[in-house]
Amino acid sequence: MNDELAASHSAFSFQLAAFSLQPSAFKTGFRLLILTLILPLLQPAPILIMPGPPQTVYSEHPITAVHTRLTDEVEEWKIQRTLQLVREMGATRIVEFFPWAYYQSKDGSIAWEHPDQVVAHANAQGLEVIARIGLTPYWARPKDTPLTYLDSSAYDDFAAFTAVFAQRYRGKVTHIIIGNEPNLNYEWGYRAAAPQDYVDLLKTVYPAVKQANPDVVVLAGALAPTLEPAGSPWGLNDLAYLTAMYKAGAADYFDGLAVHAYGLTFPPQTAPAPDLLNFRRVELLRQIMLDNDDEETHIFITETGWNDHPRWTMAVRPGQRIQYTLDALRYAEANWPYVETVALWVFRYPAPTKSYMDYYTLVTPEFVTKPIYDEIKQYTGN
Amino acid sequence: MQVAGGKWQVASGKSRITHHASRFTFHVLRLTFLLLILTACHSNHPTWERIEQEGVLRVGLDPTYPPFEAADEDGAFGLDVDLAQAIAADLGLETEFVYFGYDGLYDALATEQVDVLISAMVIVPGQMRDFAYSDPYFNAGEILIVPADEAAIEGMADLDGRILAVELGALGHVEANAWGQRLPNLTIQTHNSAAEAVTAVANQQADAALVDAISGRLALKDTPTIKRITDPVTVEPFAFVTRKDDERLLENLNASLKHLSETGQLDAITSRWLN
Repeated sequence: MNDELAASHSAFSFQLAAFSLQPSAFKTGFRLLILTLILPLLQPAPILIMPGPPQTVYSEHPITAVHTRLTDEVEEWKIQRTLQLVREMGATRIVEFFPWAYYQSKDGSIAWEHPDQVVAHANAQGLEVIARIGLTPYWARPKDTPLTYLDSSAYDDFAAFTAVFAQRYRGKVTHIIIGNEPNLNYEWGYRAAAPQDYVDLLKTVYPAVKQANPDVVVLAGALAPTLEPAGSPWGLNDLAYLTAMYKAGAADYFDGLAVHAYGLTFPPQTAPAPDLLNFRRVELLRQIMLDNDDEETHIFITETGWNDHPRWTMAVRPGQRIQYTLDALRYAEANWPYVETVALWVFRYPAPTKSYMDYYTLVTPEFVTKPIYDEIKQYTGN
Repeated sequence: MQVAGGKWQVASGKSRITHHASRFTFHVLRLTFLLLILTACHSNHPTWERIEQEGVLRVGLDPTYPPFEAADEDGAFGLDVDLAQAIAADLGLETEFVYFGYDGLYDALATEQVDVLISAMVIVPGQMRDFAYSDPYFNAGEILIVPADEAAIEGMADLDGRILAVELGALGHVEANAWGQRLPNLTIQTHNSAAEAVTAVANQQADAALVDAISGRLALKDTPTIKRITDPVTVEPFAFVTRKDDERLLENLNASLKHLSETGQLDAITSRWLN
């Protein structure tokens, strides 16, 4: 070792000593550092999910649709698989929930990644998307209020978000539903909300959305089928609520009416009555529309179906559920020219709820199709 | 500055503040110590203590689900009722049954109207933030029913080339369809009810039936020409439900359940209502 090298070695050793490290320890540490940098690069790349070539829905009964529940589905391949199965079943449209609260931050920025995925995969499968917008971000509601809380101070923010949504998905999302079941206090965060409140919301949102995207069809939120009397802390009878909406001047602020038409324990042919909650309650809502000279406005059934839970009091046997569902699709197609779509609740959940809600699904979380799925698929000619 | 009786006379000098501060610290420490002792003495198990004191276990159930629970003018009866009474007796308690609709059971427990739910309750992971489940006491999943003299069928894998009866649209039908993808020669025969599917086996119209354990075991009671395959095809356990904080109660219920199981009492109760 010459003097220069020795001096250099000495200086290096001094530096190592300053960090209380021996040369061998330094080598080990250096190797670990390199390993740490290389290892992540050795991980397999995430699977790239592409929407794929455009598909077309084949359906001999295009009125058939389904409400998907992709809001909480975080894996893209599952979103794609769900929508493939929807297409193969012969449903022409999906109804999907897009929660404002999940997407928009206080600074106004919007996380579009998830809704982009859902819309892109739905379109790739040839499915029309009916988007329901709801749930209020924390910054647009008072502290300690639930996600469903919405008051007039946030109507402009809600309208602005919905307009941006409509603009972004112009040609991709064909229908937008403003809120959900506004005749229930729960849907207002337990704020006692009169029909006038909801009509005020429509009057704020509708022009903003139409200005952003004149092509989109704006649907008034489906009312919950309920017999709750005026003054109830839970909500208000849907027939009374719709009548009051028209009285408050709602007619010019929606293009179509979303409707929830659950059959509960009754066959779909059961005649309607004001004090009965069944599938044909749609006809009573329609009569209110006619009474208010709103014949041109169509109905979109965005939730319907029967449940086959073994214990729930509102359930039927699994075989009845299949029969009633097919009969309901046939009945709507044959008798209700003003109904554009009949969407079944619900296609699939990402995980079991272990409650009666699992017994509304057509496909299990593991993507096993239920017999009702197969029967609908056969009905649509697939 | 003078506050409340002159004890905090900041203006009168630093030494006085220090003196009062040290006395204050002493009092705070003494109070903290007392609070610690009180906390240690205070029970963490108020529900169990109340049950012990009153000698009554309040059981919530929905009496519309025979043979697990039903009710008439004489009161509640069924498998869960017998089991609750056996558990209570094992713990030296009486039972008080309180009826609720199925949808209201968890709310009744949360609002402390009852101590425990014993009502054919399935385990719901989403409820575990507020509630706790006991060890399972019954599996209500799907089971295979075959002719009593059938020796070749021990499970679903043995059904290729056979006829399997199911209730149309039920979970057994879903499971059968899933197996159908693995067993190309499995024929699935649908019926309007689980009872009809089992009858098809008894009448030799099908080689096996895949039905829920309750329907299947009920059918076995009246039909000696059929039997069930012991290993279940799917698992759907029933368990007791308590409030999450009632740990002592849950420990005691589990200990008692284990005792009943080990002594054969659980099997005896189950066999009384189901084969």
